[in-house]
Amino acid sequence: MRTKFPTIRRNEKRKTQPSQNITNNKKDDLSMGNSEYDIIVVGAGCAGPAAAKKAAELGLKVLLLEKSQKPGEKNVSGTCLNMAALVDPDLQYLMKGPIEREITEMHTYMITPERTTMMRETPSEGLILLSVRRDEYDAWHTEEAKKAGAEVKLSTTVMDIIEENGTITGVVTDSGEKYFGKVIIDAAGVNSIIGRKAGLIPKRKGDKMILYTILNVWLGEEVVNERFGNSIYYFLGPNTQHKTWPWIFPKKDVVTIGTGGYMDDDLFKGDIKSVNDYMQNLIDLPIIKEKLEGGKVEAWGLHLEFDEEVEKRTKDRLILTGEAGGFVIPFLGEGMPEALFTGIYAAEAAAKAIEANDFSAEFLEEHFMSRINENVFMQSFRYIADLNKKSIMSMPDQEIAAMMQNVVIGGGFISNAIHTSWMKGAEEDDMGLVQDAKDFYDLIQPYRQVGSESVEIYKKMRAEK
Amino acid sequence: MKVDMKVDYYPGDTGEFIKVDEEKCTGCGDCAKFCTRNVWVKDGEIYRPKNLKDCAECGACWNICDFDAVIFGEPKGGTGVRFEFG
Repeated sequence: MRTKFPTIRRNEKRKTQPSQNITNNKKDDLSMGNSEYDIIVVGAGCAGPAAAKKAAELGLKVLLLEKSQKPGEKNVSGTCLNMAALVDPDLQYLMKGPIEREITEMHTYMITPERTTMMRETPSEGLILLSVRRDEYDAWHTEEAKKAGAEVKLSTTVMDIIEENGTITGVVTDSGEKYFGKVIIDAAGVNSIIGRKAGLIPKRKGDKMILYTILNVWLGEEVVNERFGNSIYYFLGPNTQHKTWPWIFPKKDVVTIGTGGYMDDDLFKGDIKSVNDYMQNLIDLPIIKEKLEGGKVEAWGLHLEFDEEVEKRTKDRLILTGEAGGFVIPFLGEGMPEALFTGIYAAEAAAKAIEANDFSAEFLEEHFMSRINENVFMQSFRYIADLNKKSIMSMPDQEIAAMMQNVVIGGGFISNAIHTSWMKGAEEDDMGLVQDAKDFYDLIQPYRQVGSESVEIYKKMRAEK
Repeated sequence: MKVDMKVDYYPGDTGEFIKVDEEKCTGCGDCAKFCTRNVWVKDGEIYRPKNLKDCAECGACWNICDFDAVIFGEPKGGTGVRFEFG
């Protein structure tokens, strides 16, 4: 199967540059100073607490730093957890967190000046998503990391990295405190100062970055139940988005609405001067206007989503996770599971590095990426996104609308990805592509229907809560 | 319903976490164009982040600037924008 994750060069010679200030022997833990840790995790969004919890469970001395007063309050979006990912044994504990709504349905609307087409899809017998509020959920997750033994410091912004002989050995906070770690896990989001200072996160725009705005509308639980139920909603309408898919996700008593587009020259044109104009056009669509009648804007938000991977996720003693590492697929609205998985895998790779006393970028990458490359969820979503994004970025709006209609009728992006590869293979007489499509079809079978088994796991986890 | 940019902020001084590099700024205005919060304002030949108190910390200005003229840091711990319902 073709994916864009880089293959690992296993035979490459590893170079280790142990820092003079850092001892690599586990037995030295007791003699560690107050500011010395095995692992420092920066950012308590999705990836950070997952990494800190896992590292603490592996017996490591962990520090988790977060810039907000309450974890999640710097997070604008990431509103639904995908059950297809949550059934993975590594992520099942996340079902115990504060859930706003259990999502079982999906509605997709195609809106043109002539007509509105509504397709109702129920892709699962069971739960498809769990809707969450990040300011509640990330705070809960951070508490879980703390319970596992991680030390947590809130209202603490990392402003700089400490480098010794070209190797990152620690971080400096806004109050000038210095913390040293054998491995630093960067979970500080799309514009992470650590990844930028380490030279791994470049500037991005055009078809590599999405600017998105979010509107939270309070309606009250009864009204949300009545008008939105347990369904998420996708829309494609005139002047309501720029090569992305606006959506409405219901929480308990508010609904979250999102739209925006790729940061290219066409994002703002004509009457569109800001992403707020796309949002206004969206909520003015009669079908949405009706659903929001009587509601009140509770909160507005704005954020960027990176839509292309960073080239390298590791440096000596450093691993980039979540959005900092480009582990997000805004095209499909997927980011939280990728962050959660990569947080856990980074903690495991760091533990292996400490065990082997090898902190080189190559060692960390090998152990980090091998888990990612085995992850069915991450691989299949990347495949789906790649093929669909290629179609969409190359088409004018009218053709996108037509394609979207076919996609909707044909069962969504998964079908489109399979169909695209298969047809291209047939047209070009390239059996490799056809085989690709077939391999992918086989690969995603366990994930196509998150059925009764997942509901059983969910019930068990909620009972344990 | 009108799009109301209802944004909450923690109390406290964020520090000057976005600055312009005066030498590098060409006055092209991309920072202002891509800023949804009108943080960037033209001042003579260049742009300055004069309304930093309104910043939503998205980083669009830093990413979009072709001339590396936007110095984009972080607000002090526990300050700056605060999102609910994310």
